[in-house]
Order: sequence, then C-alpha cells, then structure tokens
Amino acid sequence: MRIPREGCDEHIVPRDITSQVNQPIEEHYGATRPPKLQYQMGGCGIAGCMDLSGGRLSGDKIAKMLETMGERENGLGAGYACYGLFPEHRDDYCLQFLFDNEDVRCRAEELLESTGTVTKEERVYTRRVKSMRPPFPLVWRYFFRPDPKVEWCGRTDLSDDDLIVQLAMHINAEMPGAICVSSGKDTAVFKGNGYSYEIAEFYDLSRYSGQMWISHSRFPTNSPAWWGGAHPLSILDWAVCHNGEITSYGINRKLVEMAGYRCSVLTDTEVVTYLWDLLVRKQRLPIPIAAFALAPWYHSDIQRLDPESARLAKWIRITYKEAFLNGPFSIIVGRREPEVTMIALADRKKLRPLLVGKSSDDKILYTASEECAVRVVDQNAETWTPNAGSPMIARVGRGILRDGTEQPFTGVRI
Amino acid sequence: MSPSNSSKKRLELEAPERFRPLVDYDLCKRCKKCVNECSFRALEFVDGMVKPVGGCVACGRCINVCPAQAIEIHQVPSQFPPHANFNERVRRAIMSQASSGGVLLTSCGTDVPYPVMFDEMLLDAAQVTNPAIDPLREPVETMTYVGGRRGQLELNDEGDRFSMGDDPAPVVGMDMPIMIGHISLGSVSYNAQKALFMAAKELNILAGSGEGGLHKDFHPFAGNVVSEVASGRFGVTGDYLKRTAAVEIKIGQGAKPGHGGHLPGEKVSALISQTRMIPLGTDALSPYPHHDIYSIEDLQQLISLVKESTEYKVPVGVKIAAVHNVGAIASGIVRAGADFITIDGFRGGTGSTPRIIRDHVGLPIEVAISVVDQRLTKEGLRNRVTVFAGGSIRSSADMIKAIALGADAVMVCTAAMVAMGCRVCQQCHRGVCSWGIATQREELVSRLDPDVASARVVRLFSSWNEELKEVMGAMGIDSVESLVGNRDRLRYFGPNSKIAEIMGVKHVGEGWG
Amino acid sequence: MTSDAGHEKATKKHRDLEPPVRRLDDETVVVKVDAQGAGGRPVHYRILNSLIRKLMVDGVKHIVLEGVMGQRYIASTASRKDLYIEIHGTPGNNLGAFLDGPTIEVFGNAQDQTGNTMNSGKIIVHGNTWDVTGLAARGGTILIRGNTGYRVGIHMKEYAGTKPTLVVGGTAKDFLGEYMAGGTVIVLDLNGDGKRSPVGHNLGAGIHGGKLFIRGNLEKHQLGPGATMGQVTDEDIPELEIALQEFEKAFKRTVPRNWENWVKVQPTSSRPFSGHYDPTCV
Repeated sequence: MRIPREGCDEHIVPRDITSQVNQPIEEHYGATRPPKLQYQMGGCGIAGCMDLSGGRLSGDKIAKMLETMGERENGLGAGYACYGLFPEHRDDYCLQFLFDNEDVRCRAEELLESTGTVTKEERVYTRRVKSMRPPFPLVWRYFFRPDPKVEWCGRTDLSDDDLIVQLAMHINAEMPGAICVSSGKDTAVFKGNGYSYEIAEFYDLSRYSGQMWISHSRFPTNSPAWWGGAHPLSILDWAVCHNGEITSYGINRKLVEMAGYRCSVLTDTEVVTYLWDLLVRKQRLPIPIAAFALAPWYHSDIQRLDPESARLAKWIRITYKEAFLNGPFSIIVGRREPEVTMIALADRKKLRPLLVGKSSDDKILYTASEECAVRVVDQNAETWTPNAGSPMIARVGRGILRDGTEQPFTGVRI
Repeated sequence: MSPSNSSKKRLELEAPERFRPLVDYDLCKRCKKCVNECSFRALEFVDGMVKPVGGCVACGRCINVCPAQAIEIHQVPSQFPPHANFNERVRRAIMSQASSGGVLLTSCGTDVPYPVMFDEMLLDAAQVTNPAIDPLREPVETMTYVGGRRGQLELNDEGDRFSMGDDPAPVVGMDMPIMIGHISLGSVSYNAQKALFMAAKELNILAGSGEGGLHKDFHPFAGNVVSEVASGRFGVTGDYLKRTAAVEIKIGQGAKPGHGGHLPGEKVSALISQTRMIPLGTDALSPYPHHDIYSIEDLQQLISLVKESTEYKVPVGVKIAAVHNVGAIASGIVRAGADFITIDGFRGGTGSTPRIIRDHVGLPIEVAISVVDQRLTKEGLRNRVTVFAGGSIRSSADMIKAIALGADAVMVCTAAMVAMGCRVCQQCHRGVCSWGIATQREELVSRLDPDVASARVVRLFSSWNEELKEVMGAMGIDSVESLVGNRDRLRYFGPNSKIAEIMGVKHVGEGWG
Repeated sequence: MTSDAGHEKATKKHRDLEPPVRRLDDETVVVKVDAQGAGGRPVHYRILNSLIRKLMVDGVKHIVLEGVMGQRYIASTASRKDLYIEIHGTPGNNLGAFLDGPTIEVFGNAQDQTGNTMNSGKIIVHGNTWDVTGLAARGGTILIRGNTGYRVGIHMKEYAGTKPTLVVGGTAKDFLGEYMAGGTVIVLDLNGDGKRSPVGHNLGAGIHGGKLFIRGNLEKHQLGPGATMGQVTDEDIPELEIALQEFEKAFKRTVPRNWENWVKVQPTSSRPFSGHYDPTCV
C-alpha cells in the first residue's frame, strides 16, 4: 500500500495490490544495529546522475528518478550520496553520522576531537515526514581534519585516509547507537529507513546540489529494518549502490578482513565498498583493472584476447580470486578523488538490469535500473546498456571515458 | 614379516578365514580362468572342480574374469563367539601378533568406522534471492591455478596502456580442481603409474609421481607431473626437479603421520631396484623425518634450495599429514615460502603402513582443512598459497564439501585406483595385487592395460567435474573460486555441534549471518 | 460507515485516481497516463491496468496511452484479437505478458521482459527493448526496431503450427535463444557495419527446437552447447519473407535479402544432452 506524501490525501488502493511484501514489521531501529541482525539480502533499485561539465544538479532530479522505479522498493530503506556539494569545505573530511541519542553523539565528538580538528559541525537539516516510522536518529555532520601526528592503536604512520577509515570503522563497530554513514571529502550520504521519496523529503534534498548523485531504494527480504542498513554504503569518498546478491560474500569478506577492514553492517554491499577502497586506493590498481578483478571475464573469452591482454587477465584472476564477486549484481560506484567519478558495472552474465544514458547535449550522464528512471527526467536522452562485466566510467570534466562496450584493457587509463 | 603361502597355514591354525569364494558348479565351465587369475592362490582345480583353499581376500578378480558368473564371494560369518568389546578385529590382531611378534602391516585407508563428517554435512542451493545457474547451458568455470599467489599485482606505468611485467610467480593451471595424488612407482606398477599420468595429461590436471622418482619412459608426461622430494630422496636429481610441472616436499602422509615411505621387499623388483638405486628385494623404508629438516627454518632452507635449483620456474609446495596442530604448522609452512600446501587427512590410503598408525593417528581432513583455512585467513596469509586437501576424497560430494570447507583443490588417490580395478581389499603391501596395480610381478602387471585404465580414470574425474558444476550451478556460483572456503554453503547435520563450531560450519536450520 | 458505504467510498476514490480518459469515438479512447492528478505521483500500474481491462470489456478497440512512464504489466493477459493498444512513453517491465491476441505498438523504448510468455498477438516497439524479451513465448510476433539485450527469446516453444517469431532490427546480446524449443528469432543488424557480430555469446545454448537467423557475422565460439550454424536454404526463405515483410511494414524500412551474408543457427539434435547422464542404477 502506498504511503502517501505528507499533506496529501491517503491513496486508497485495493488491499491486495502490493507487489511489495506486506510485512508485519514490528521493529525498527535507527543507528543501533538490531540484535541478532542477520545478513540482509533483497532486491532494489539504483540510479545515478552526473553533470559532466562540472555544473550542479539538485537533489530533486535523483529523487524523481528513484521514485519512478517505485516497484523496486518496499519502504525499508533508501539513500542518496551526493558529490561536490561542499566546495567551500573541499579539503575537510565531511563525516556524517546517525546517532540514536545525544550521549553517544558526545562520545563520538570527543573521539573526533582527540584525533583531529573539527572545523565545523552542524545538525543536518531534517523534517518530519508523517508516514515515516520512528525511531528517527539525530543526523549530524562534522567537517574534520585529522591530526597527522596522532597515534592510533600504536601507529603514527597512518595516512589521513587510513586514519579516517579506522575512525569510521571503529565507531561503527564499537559505539552502539552511532553509525558513520559517510566519511569522504566534499561528499555526503543521506539515507534512512523509509521509501525513497520519504527519505528525499526527510532530508529535503532539493536544498543540496552537487556534481553527482547516486541513490538506492531497498527491498530487503528480511527485517528488521535499520537506518544503518540502507544503501549507499560508504567509506571515505567511496559510495556503492548495489542491486543483487553476492554469493561469494563469505570469501570476499575474508579478503577485506585480512586487509584490516571491519564488517559491521552485515550486507554484501559493505564488502563491495571495502573492496573498491582496497584495490583502487590502497593497491593503486587502475579502475578498469579493479573492475575486471571484481567481474572477471570467462577463461574462454580471455583466451581470445590478444596475448598481452590475455596474460594480464589471467594474472588478475589468479591474484585477486578472493575479490571475485559471484552472483547477480549491478552496482553504481561513486568516487571523489581525484575528480568526481562514476562507475557502473554489472556482473559478467548481466543478471541484474543496468542502463546508462546521456542527455542530447552530452552534459548529463544517467545510470539506472530501468529506462523509465531516465526518461522521466530527460525525454530525449540516449540510452544503452553496458556489456556484462564491462565498466562504464565517467569523470567530471573529462566526460564518458568508457561506455561499457569496450574490450577490457584498451582505452584510457584511469 | 608379512603373510605368504606358508603363513596361510599359520592363519588356518590361528584365525578363521574371512572370505570364501563359492562356485556354482552348475554354471561353472571349468575354464580355470579364476584359478589362474587368483594371485592369492585361494583357488585350486582339484578333482575336476574349482575349490577354495583358503587365503581369499575378496579382491574380486575371479568374479570379474569368470565367463559364467559362477562365483560369489561369501563373507564368512564370524567364527568367534560374539563380543562387542573384544570384537573380531581385536581378537584376530592379538592372535596374529602372538604368532608373528611383529608390527601389523596393512594398506589402503583406515577401515575403522570413525564418523565421516562429509556424510554429516549438507550443501546449499540458490532459491529466489539469487538465481541458480544451469551448467549444461551457461558457463560454470572449474579452472584452478596452483601457485602464483602474491596478494597484489604490479602494473607497468606505461601511460595509457595496461600491461604488467614478468609473471610474478610460477603457476600451473589445471582444468579442474583435482590432482591425482602421489602414488610411487614401486607402490604401484609401471602400467598403473603410466595410466595415471596419461589420465592427468588428457584431463590437463596434475598427478604426483610419489617417492619413486620419474621413470624416463614417463618424461613425456612431465608437464602434468608433480615431483616429490620425500625423506628417502629416491630419484631426486636436478633433472627430476627441473623437468616436472611442480615440486612437492613430502613431510608426511595422512595414512601414516610421522612415518616415512614404506615399500616392502616383495615389491622391490629389478625395475624398482634400478629406479630407486637400492638392493633387490630389500624393504625400502624411508626415514621418518627429512634429516635436513628439524625445524621450520630448515624447511624454509629446503624450500629455498628447491626454488633455487629449479630457477624459480615451478611452484614449490609442501605436503603434511593432518595432525592436531595443523593450523599453526600450515601457517609456518606458508611463511617458509611454500607456493602450495597439501593437507592429507588420516583416512588417506597408502601402499603399506603399520596398522597402528593408519587406524589411530592423525586428524580427519574435514576438520583439518577448515582449521587451516581459518587460521591462514586470520593471519592474513590465505591469499598467498594454494591449498590442496586429500585423504579419502571418495566422490564428487566429498570434493565439493572439501572445497567449500577451505581447499582450493583436492588430491585423490584411492578413487582413481578403484576406477582402474582396485577393490580396496587392503593387501597392497603383499605385492600380489591381482589387478596389476599394487604389484611388481610381471605376470600381474601385464593384466592392467594402461589405455583402458587411463580412459576409466579420465571418465571418472570428468563426471566428478560435471557434478561439481551441477552443484555450483545449483548454488548460483559460476566459478570455483567463489566456492573455496565458502563455508556458509554448508550446514552440519550431525550429532556433535562442537565439531561444527570448530569447522566454522553452521548447523542445519541456521540462516545467514 | 457500513461496509457498503465504505466500499462505495473506496471505489469512488479509486476512480478518482484514474488518469483522465477521452473518448474519440465509439471504438477509440485516449488515456493521459501522466496527467498530474493523484498527488502528483505516477499512476500506479494496478489502476492503469484495471482501467485498460475495463475498456477492453466495454468493447473499445483502440486504446491510446499517453505519457506512460514505467508502469508494469500493461496489457498482461489481454485477449481480444481485435484490440489495438498504442503506447507513447516508456512502458515498464513485462509489457504484454501472457498476451493472447491484441496488438501493442510502442512509440519509444520498452523495458525488460517484454512479451513474457506470450501466447499470440503482436508487439511492435519503435525503439529498443532490454533484457529477457519474449521469454517462453508460445506464439505471436514481436518486432523490435532497435536493439535488444541479454537473455532474449529464452525457451520459446512451438507446436503444430503455432509458433512465436521475434525480429530484432538492431543487435542482441549474450544468451539469445537459450533453451529454445521452437519458434524463430531473426536479428537484422540494420545499423551495423557488417563486421562486428550483432549477437553475443552462448547463442542458442541448449537449443533443441526452432531456429535463429542472423544477418551478419557469427563465429563458432559464439555458439552455445547444442547449437550448430549453417547457411540459409531455399526452404527457409518463405518463412523469412513473411517475417521480414511484417517488419518492413511496421517500421517502413527495407531489409536487404543478401542471404549469403546470413547465418542460420539450429539444434544439433533434439536431445543434446543425452550422453551427459549415467542412467544405470548403482
């Protein structure tokens, strides 16, 4: 049953209408991980838009894209990541949190102050949406600079990025009632437990504009719902919106845990986010190589590449076999450094839908699970699908660097 | 002292027969094939009839060759008064040792009914939330690489092109995650080893050469052979190491942890004497330890020696028996530089071993492989090594479960022998295998046709590989990398939940989490 | 509120949410799907489809849907042979699922699962369709002017003259015609350069009935298990002509009959996996 927008008449629709699961949901959680939280799975909708010329897009656009695909969600989580929205704080990490109470907020703030400088803090604007269910966590934002000389768990040699990663994972794992939802520079994640249009309303996304938005609406198949479990999942300036289910989750999780990441959200998307950070930021693999490690080509297709590419492909598969994401997935990944970048990738059998579009003046890039999400904001967009296992990569100021139909190792090195 | 014809009399006096071949005289054609084929001389042609004369071990050869299907092996009911504690097995052992004063010798894997955890675990399948894959029509990959794991790939800094430097480490590819384990020329016949090597080449997998070196006739197969550096160093020359696809340092074997190789004199024929360079008819008892490995840093030294001697061109690994501290030992071995590790569980087979070791020492592979996988993961080492699991992998189900528990690939021996004709009668050590497998006697060896035998092994492993694909497809996994160590795909159904906890496997009824 | 009155209120509210309907004449009706009523949000598919069903029952022969934006299951199970549904906009997933008679024409792109398990009728798309088009179709015709995506034409079936036909004016991707048991799939690559193959991998994987015709390059490694390729023969041409003429009429485009550049794909046998199993009961 569609929950109406605040101020509108209730939409009454015959009772058995739902393509959404009519769940008797008894428990909702905010920033506290539900007790006995089990690994969450489900279907979803994803969408993204980006102004390739560096201009700004309001949050209304992305909200409309997601809302048009309303059949893909059941009201148990949605979220938006915005990039390039705080140009005046470009060099500070924007740490955005969900807190269940003032007490845990103070403790988190203390921790921040002991590891660096908070240059600005503010409560993130939210407003009451009648149809959303409590609890409503406090949403807070800190612009933060880590102290380069601070010691963390006996180490003083951590880079700023690594320290932020440690901080965020520590808070998520060790401070019940606090969740760090985004921790990148000039990036913020707005998410929660509700329908996509409710979350857009809750945060009043129209007041933000950024160079890129990526978003996600959830259809989890097991409750309870909690704010921390919504997508996008983010660490530093990486944000991942994911539709599908990773059957190799246990193996991927072991790899990121061996590299020092701590999984606390218990969804496969969290592991995907850490994998991108591990492969691209820490191991400095170019994005197409990382994408190949996550969605490698079949051996039979590798053999048909030219010898040098075939050798490279073989060694990527050997070295990164635990990074292989098996199972159906389509992901939209956002990144801020060195420029705002969007990556769209589907599994090598393309079992989940993924569409890319661009405006007729080549300025706006769209990605979505369904065509209608693009058409509703741009009637004249040109649309295509990236090939299975082939990333679409676009960067502000440089345009679409890969459209997803190329051979794996040709083209621009990113 | 091992049983022979004279001991037949001894057994007659001491312990009753366990098996008796029964001949249906209405059907029997009096062709005497069974009499000629029985290498244990348990049948004789007397008064125009085939008569059992004692010593039958149920090897099944007579049944196989009888053109009239006139023979049935009858398991003789126990002639001992029933006793659950002093069971037949125990009493027979006492009687035998009171007679011989020797260490009981046996072969094959243990036949003691310890619980088999493979049979207490169920596999998962995909339903709804992610799709099953149809291996008949959609690609499901089983290619497995041995070695080559370095954790990170270095690329060339070459402007816009993507390229890498030299291969970072030696690696060997197998078309399926199965290796034929080490079975030495000596423990088995020339024809048997030839059949196994032919099968490995046809399937594009690896086969172990065992402790007996590589006969020069088998050099054409060297690209699919893993050589073995065991404590006796038989046949270990520079050429042997450089020629084969990989080198394995054998510290131990699942069937006899703490022991070295054991080749009874009955099997040290002229051929073996030549290939191993030892006197004819002597027992080839390999030392128990490598006498140049007394601690972990010595193992590192040997590994480095082998790598240097092979010019870093082939993966170098280590095989250990699964013992109680296998996790820590495996961790040490990876740190010592091994490219691959083979863990051999206590139920593994052998051509000859003291029964006391075979039946009472070691750890089952199910537990060992889980413990090793968990320990290596915890120490951040799991993606630096390829892990093989062996020790009674009897079927594709065992193989799949072993991979899900943590193995990159499995090592299989006994099943390959059964494909070639073996009936697991536990008489290999006597050197009179009627199937021509575990013997050096020319007249018996010639019974095994390598072409026929290798084709059977090829068909066996091909069908296992198809079954692996069926199960992976049903789980929604399209490449074997995503099954390795994916213990979430297993559920333990057995009586002992502590074992499930140790293996890191959830209990049936527990969901994801 | 009595239950009758409650039902009356609910029905009235339901009608209030319906998009505006304009009758052009006895047989033609225009529905403005994206009219800004109903709280400014897109019309729910349930309301739209129930309206379409009502119109069908009322004898309307020509329904025009304007401003369709992602509504799913449009015309699913629709069964009047003389019904013509004209769609402007982007219909959502499962357009014409279980279709049994009517003709649907889309002026725009369609999404996934178009013509899912259709029985008879016709779907014409002046644009692209995406994945899983024509899944398990048993009859009828699907004509696509542009491209289509992955897993198209899976398990199409035929029996005694009733068979489905799928014609793609552009290209298709992997797993085209997987598990095909009957029917005809034609890929024309009208916008291609003739060099790159207009289809992907695993073509006809597991095919045991039916045929595919590809106008363009096809290499053996693209074929899935059980599929074999060959030339178009004289026996094929009458059937091809019927399909191509329908395509040409619908889209006002000419299809070159350069048969020597076409490849026919069909099953190696009707039982491609017979050697795979061991039926002995051990």
